[in-house]
Amino acid sequence: MQLAVNIAVLAAIYALISCGYVLIYRATRVLSLAHGELMMLGAYGLYATASLFSGHPVAAVAAAGVLALAVGVLVYFALMWRMTGESVLAAVLATIALGILLRGLMALAFGTQTRHPLAELGWTNASIAVGEDAFVSGVGLVLVLATAAVYGLLFAFLRFTRWGIRMRAAGQNPLLAAQRGIGLHGIYALAWGLATFTGGLAGMLIASDAGLESTMVVIGLKAFPAALVGGLDSLAGALLGSIVIAAAEVLMVHHVDPLLSDVVPFFILLAMLIVRPWGFFGSREELDRV
Amino acid sequence: MSKQLTRIAACVAAAAALQAAPALAQDAYLIGVSGAMTGPVAGGYAPIVESMKAYLDHVNAQGGVNGKRVEIVIQDDQAQPSRAATNAKKLVAQDRVVLLVNTSLSSTYAPMVAESKRAGVPLFFAGGVCPPETYPPADPLQFCSTAYSANLDSEAALGFIKSSSSSPVRIAFAGMAIPLVRTGIEHAEKVAASLGMKTVGTQYSPPPAPDYTPFATKIKDADPNWVFSWSPWVSQVRTFEALRRLGWDGPYVTWAHLNAEEELARIKDGRFYVIGTNAFLEDNLPVHAEMRAVAHRAGLKYPTSYLTEGYVAGMVLEAALKKVSWPPTPQKVAAAMSNLKVDLRGLRGGPLEWTKDNHFRTAQYYRVWRWDPAQNRIVRVQDWKAIQAKR
Amino acid sequence: MTVPRASGYFRTRYAEDFALLDTRTRKAWAALFAAALLVYPFLAGPLALDLANQVLLGAVGAVALMLLTGYAGQISLGHAGLLAAGAFTTGILFKEFGAPFWVTLPASALVGAALGLIFGLPSLRLRGLYLAVSTLALHFIVIHLGAEYETKRGFSTGILVDPPSIGGWQLYDARAWYFVLLAAAAATVLFSLNLLRSKTGRAWRAIHGREAVAGALGISVHRAKLSAFVVSSMLTAVAGCLFAYFRGFVSVEAFSLFLTIQYVAMVIIGGMGSILGAVLGTVFVILFPYFIEWLMEAAGLAEELAAVVFAVNYSAFGLVMILFLVFEPQGLVGVWRRIQAWFLMWPFKQKPLAGTK
Repeated sequence: MQLAVNIAVLAAIYALISCGYVLIYRATRVLSLAHGELMMLGAYGLYATASLFSGHPVAAVAAAGVLALAVGVLVYFALMWRMTGESVLAAVLATIALGILLRGLMALAFGTQTRHPLAELGWTNASIAVGEDAFVSGVGLVLVLATAAVYGLLFAFLRFTRWGIRMRAAGQNPLLAAQRGIGLHGIYALAWGLATFTGGLAGMLIASDAGLESTMVVIGLKAFPAALVGGLDSLAGALLGSIVIAAAEVLMVHHVDPLLSDVVPFFILLAMLIVRPWGFFGSREELDRV
Repeated sequence: MSKQLTRIAACVAAAAALQAAPALAQDAYLIGVSGAMTGPVAGGYAPIVESMKAYLDHVNAQGGVNGKRVEIVIQDDQAQPSRAATNAKKLVAQDRVVLLVNTSLSSTYAPMVAESKRAGVPLFFAGGVCPPETYPPADPLQFCSTAYSANLDSEAALGFIKSSSSSPVRIAFAGMAIPLVRTGIEHAEKVAASLGMKTVGTQYSPPPAPDYTPFATKIKDADPNWVFSWSPWVSQVRTFEALRRLGWDGPYVTWAHLNAEEELARIKDGRFYVIGTNAFLEDNLPVHAEMRAVAHRAGLKYPTSYLTEGYVAGMVLEAALKKVSWPPTPQKVAAAMSNLKVDLRGLRGGPLEWTKDNHFRTAQYYRVWRWDPAQNRIVRVQDWKAIQAKR
Repeated sequence: MTVPRASGYFRTRYAEDFALLDTRTRKAWAALFAAALLVYPFLAGPLALDLANQVLLGAVGAVALMLLTGYAGQISLGHAGLLAAGAFTTGILFKEFGAPFWVTLPASALVGAALGLIFGLPSLRLRGLYLAVSTLALHFIVIHLGAEYETKRGFSTGILVDPPSIGGWQLYDARAWYFVLLAAAAATVLFSLNLLRSKTGRAWRAIHGREAVAGALGISVHRAKLSAFVVSSMLTAVAGCLFAYFRGFVSVEAFSLFLTIQYVAMVIIGGMGSILGAVLGTVFVILFPYFIEWLMEAAGLAEELAAVVFAVNYSAFGLVMILFLVFEPQGLVGVWRRIQAWFLMWPFKQKPLAGTK
């Protein structure tokens, strides 16, 4: 039972992070390698608003969310729209460079100490019993619920709302979409905003659980295999990929060797790339096969 | 027209730029530091360097050492070996320092040791793990004041566990999956066996894990009545927090890193023990008042409790330089350091003593603390207990 | 292949199309440059010499990456992993068998080639970003194995490697290293230039342009891709072996993902699809942090900003990389060509002809 809970929490973390990769890739065909830094920025945003709105934790969380969304839109207009038309590699590199810049700036602004945004908000991370003998942390529970909510809303958004349909159209065929009067820059900025929001949310929740320090960047990278195994352009795939990777990792820790938990996602990824390179639900033509 | 022209220009410009660095004061003891000031691990090293510098500034303000200033040149190596190598070369060849200081990850040691040996400049490890060469029989050029030591720490911690438990000990170990920690924990397993403890499990978590619960679950399932973790702070404390959330309420012993005092007050758990060699601020020694004032004057942004380690290093440097007559040379500094006794004014359990073949310290003193929920403050569980350092 | 640029110079034979140095002026410049490189270590201070050594060592790895990414168009994020593979092969052979230089170097090259073959296989089915991620897997796996070795054998602070000895003479001095590394870098550059004007090199460029067309032209796409991976990985592993000897040690911490990013930055900032670009990029990336530090010192800010100088340095690197990507996508080589064109056209103001590469 505890294992199932562990898998659910880890899968929720991976899923919440990887949906950012998918959102950006789907709309703009760019893989954002600054996602880890943007997560961290989101978490620092929460830390900053928590001390700004001390006593009003809900307002602080809301402000941090809006901030993350705004940062994403800003990143697009300040940097990424200039990279349209450049090669994919150049765009990916721009995100790497952005990551380095952000990391330096965050070190300048916040130092290198570990911060605890949850304590700053005045909340504690209680332990909640699930069933007979399993426990989940309060933040872990919120993580699972938030991930479920984010995915539910994203599915609804992409399927039923006008902007969601435009975003899918822009992702499928930018030229045609533009000719039909869809403002691509607006769509792309929205994709970046949403991705940074979900990433920032993941960052805030991870920081609430475990404290906020520079290793968060690497955690962003660890969700990478999950997004790929599922298929980079499919949200459902990202969800399934996250569950598979999380399950493999948790079971590896429990039954085989914890030392292998770091490499097992990449072994699954390699196996997937050989058998079904476009992932569980990714579109096949996407791969541009030889 | 040729492409070669720019290359020449670039080389010449670079060479010129590097030669043009301003000369430092000639009437000062020059010390060169290569430290992890930025990068992923900076949090464990940058406070040490800054507090060491703040202490030496304080010494300078008081009139310096032997009437001369102590000048400290800091270079960032981002915990990258190539940068450390370049830093060491620059410090030795260009700044002509009489002593090299390393405050960084162990992966930066080899290139600095090589440079120190080549130039005959002593190398002082302040804040990174002490390399084996500083234990007896010590390398003539390498010295170390860092508090932690994989083998001695686990001996001290397991000794504490043994003495404070009446029932047979079923111990589990937790740590980060890095070579240094794994070597330390493997030693701890042997010590545990020799003390008649039963090791029920050992868990290594990858350097950053998004969630430590899976690792903690396995530890809990092994049903230990003690857990010892010797590792970077993240993995120590997150494993602990995950264990508590899983409902495990046994005693947990970890190493007291720079931020231990602050963290004890944050975690507020009565059975979370930290073992360490540096006195806590709440002792309120006279030297602590001085530390606060020095940190304030230097405008350091870290809590004062983070500064002890760097302060100790600064005191060691001051004491060593005091024994070096003017003009200083690397040979004189090495000779002074090979026979040194530093009064640390209560920051550690006893003086730091270096002899000809022991550049670690002759005796290491350990204290154990925990948070006392009843009194709502940190209490000492075990006072200074000496362990003789030999290898 | 170069395009004739001096006025009044026309190629009359096919062989001239393949010449690396076509005019007498260029030959003279090359000779002068070579002479400058040979004299440099006797004029430079120890720090400048060490930086030059780093640049030369970095250039071997950067040129290798340029062949793969800049010419054959295959994205790789496993560069640090390959360097580590070469360095660990050297370190392990040295520690376990006391193997000398002339055994470890070819062994590292072999390991590199084998890894290149294995991790080049996904490239037959994958393109672009998917490929990048599969090479990332290479990085994690090599680092995991390296850490296992270090732990199992108790080398927790890294494997120390003695300087290589050639006939009883130990290679230790920075100046001696300079010449060894210069030879290695020059050999790599010449090897790459030669390879690029051969059939293989042309095949790489063709698959970079369009795989389908390359296939239609009778180029074996599979073979070209795999050969690009094998050659690049082999050179990278050799660079890793040199690293182990030059630095005197090997440890997993030395091969972080940030190292990969630095190499990729060298290739990008230098300018894609140019060996000169790889070299210029290496010079830039390695010297840049020192330049910033020097700049801050010169501006007298070092004292005031002492606490943040390092974070500033880090941010500046990211910022410069962004500026290059946005404003000079062709990299340093693009700047260089523009300067060249300006001199060629002078006193006539004219944009360089499109397609002049």
